[in-house]
Amino acid sequence: MTTTKTLTPLREVLYRFSLSRPIPDAELLDAFIRRYPEYAAEITDFAIEVAVDAALGDEDAIVQAVEPTVSPVVSRAMSRFQNHLFAARRVRLATPAREPTPPSVTENPFAVLDRTAFRRLAARLNANTVFVAKLRDRQIDPDTMTTGFRKRVAEELGVPLDVTVAHFAAQAEGQAPQFYKAEQKPVAIPRQSFEDAVRSSGLTVEQQRYLMSL
Amino acid sequence: MIRPLKKRDQNGNLYTRPPEIEQAIAAAILQDLATLRRRAAVSTRSSPDFLPSECLVYLIREAWRRRDEQTMNDLMAPLLTRSEALLEAKVPDGLLPNAAEIRENILSEFSFLFVRDGSGDDPDELDFFECRFNQAFRAFRIDFVRREVMRTKHLASLPAENDEASHCSSDEDVFSHLSEAFRNPPTQLQKLFRKDLLEAINSLPPDERKAVVLCHVLGSKEEAEDPSETTAATLCGVTGRTIRNRLNRAAARLSKFKGGIR
Repeated sequence: MTTTKTLTPLREVLYRFSLSRPIPDAELLDAFIRRYPEYAAEITDFAIEVAVDAALGDEDAIVQAVEPTVSPVVSRAMSRFQNHLFAARRVRLATPAREPTPPSVTENPFAVLDRTAFRRLAARLNANTVFVAKLRDRQIDPDTMTTGFRKRVAEELGVPLDVTVAHFAAQAEGQAPQFYKAEQKPVAIPRQSFEDAVRSSGLTVEQQRYLMSL
Repeated sequence: MIRPLKKRDQNGNLYTRPPEIEQAIAAAILQDLATLRRRAAVSTRSSPDFLPSECLVYLIREAWRRRDEQTMNDLMAPLLTRSEALLEAKVPDGLLPNAAEIRENILSEFSFLFVRDGSGDDPDELDFFECRFNQAFRAFRIDFVRREVMRTKHLASLPAENDEASHCSSDEDVFSHLSEAFRNPPTQLQKLFRKDLLEAINSLPPDERKAVVLCHVLGSKEEAEDPSETTAATLCGVTGRTIRNRLNRAAARLSKFKGGIR
């Protein structure tokens, strides 16, 4: 009988490493690499950065000198934080419904983003606004997206993964069958595959390679 | 009652907050928002009003749980102000081509952890920040920069040199000053020396930088007879000779630091 080892997420390992000692040494590095050999390269690189980082100054002393004024950078971060808070509040209000929400009215976590936030999201995803608009409008077949990509979008949106997955799985925007003027009922346009969407959004080769690697 | 942490360390033990943090939280949860807001703006650690960042994290998380957005907003701004100061010191302009943008993104990403708290893949991630804020924020920040560098392939543009074509003699003097600079708390004069040295180390080609920091900052051996022993050679996946070549080349580049502080 074989047993399956549960893989600890890399970020969890890095937190543990960082919290182990204020300044790491070869002994700590060795202990972590033996415990998490699957992340040997990442832990080594991380240990190097932590060691160099420690020489950039003591955190307590840095905070000691902080002025209590809110800088423009903090103001902008607060604004983004409040946008996320607003989106999360709407999701919270939408999710406890007793009956399952029909797919056509699933909460769109992109809807709360203003133009600037939308552009920033595109930048953080290493994509462009054309590609993010496809995500917003559910024009990409969710079955062709990788788990890594969906997680990355959820992270960048600051909403739970299941909300993001539900958004992608819902009916595409603009395809609501009750609003049509033509004599015939409109036929839903087939969604693009993830790869086609990446290739046809005017992304650079580097951006395409990155998105496909997630 | 103060909510216990759920995260465990590498040995399976639950993380616990340092006693002084527990005490600070116990006192803070009895105070009104106006008092907390005033205290959160105090940055002098020795002041009796100083609220540790770990405590601010706890209070904001609790506010999120009871859906108290006013408290979240009021305490988040001073926490981000402290975090911004850390970022300015640790991700200075010049370290990366887009350092200012990265700092801002880290700050936003950090604030989003609070909105994701209790849900998603890692519902207890902020536990680390309640335990030791600075060390947790360091991990968060370095991991963010790592992903950013991977994304932009910043380091890929640096040319790799031929590891077998060593042309410099080893210079232990440079490295002894380097080890000393990292090991001891710096005086004012040493701070300037250390800053220059760090800039020089950061400008080394990645392979050389890695060899230098592993051997002369972290204290790893260059190589060992025992193949099961962790050394710079095993960590880099090369021979001991290659590590020595990289160190030699780095020593030549860092030769201006040979005399230490003059």
